[in-house]
Amino acid sequence: MENHQTPTANPHHSAHPVEHQSHRAEYITIFLILTFLTGVEVFVPDVYSAVWSGHTKMLLLCILAFVKAGLVFMYFMHMKNEAKWVRWIGYTPIYMGMAVIIIMLETSYR
Amino acid sequence: MSSTLQTAADGHGETLEPEDVNFGKATGGKVAMWMFIAQDGMSFGGLLFAYGVLRSSAQEWPIPAEVLGIGLTAVATFLLICSSLSMVFAVLAAQERNQAALVRWLGVTIAGGATFLGIQAYEYYHLVHNGVGFITSSHNGESINNLFGTTFYAVTGFHGLHVLSGVIYLTIIFRGAQKGKYTQGGTSYSPVELVGLFWHFVDLVWILVFTFIYLL
Repeated sequence: MENHQTPTANPHHSAHPVEHQSHRAEYITIFLILTFLTGVEVFVPDVYSAVWSGHTKMLLLCILAFVKAGLVFMYFMHMKNEAKWVRWIGYTPIYMGMAVIIIMLETSYR
Repeated sequence: MSSTLQTAADGHGETLEPEDVNFGKATGGKVAMWMFIAQDGMSFGGLLFAYGVLRSSAQEWPIPAEVLGIGLTAVATFLLICSSLSMVFAVLAAQERNQAALVRWLGVTIAGGATFLGIQAYEYYHLVHNGVGFITSSHNGESINNLFGTTFYAVTGFHGLHVLSGVIYLTIIFRGAQKGKYTQGGTSYSPVELVGLFWHFVDLVWILVFTFIYLL
């Protein structure tokens, strides 16, 4: 997995053609999942008013958003293959996300 | 570690790097970009936090979907996801030293970002026309919480500026790619990877903004 980070002195295109093909397949899979989840997100507000309560809608949309953001973070931004200490730099803004969750919890149970 | 430093200090010929388990695990450019992204994420977090506090403490707040409309923004969201895909393909092309593919995928990414900005400009024009201003807000002739417009423009405007700077940044890299700067092998693809990190971050933030500002 790490090999593509350090291409060899091979003058020809693609030092690791097979690996890059598997990367392409992975990227397209993530893209399709993101597109599908976006479709679900747009659909949620229409259905919830009839079937679900407001809290369920809020919870569902938050889970969908964080799953999507996590997929972009791990796969498109390559954090899955990055050293742990680099990943921790990227994790720091999650603190602000926790603040948002506290606001929503307090609002829900006021 | 101390033995290595001692060897260097003894002055027996070559200077040695101190042993650092993290050395070489990520380039300086990548660490710098990630630190920038982390602090930029904090800025967005601060804006969303302020929005959350203002909205949850408001007497009345309109349902965003009714005022803003979701359809066009969903298309814009899809566009950003598409441009993220073309961006990772551009990085692969640079690593494969395929200049033609690199220039093509960067071009697609820039087009996606520029179209997103166009959609946002169109959306702003219509919202202002329909009464949602930065200072005062109304919907269908009835006034709504003024902070609705303020928070909307503050958050989406800050994000739009990121898309704009991303498009400019991408255009600079696009020019370099045309000259073959990033397809020389070795780590020459690195600037493409860095602009990619920034671009994916802009996409990631929009995913959250779309949920908190438009859908919830």
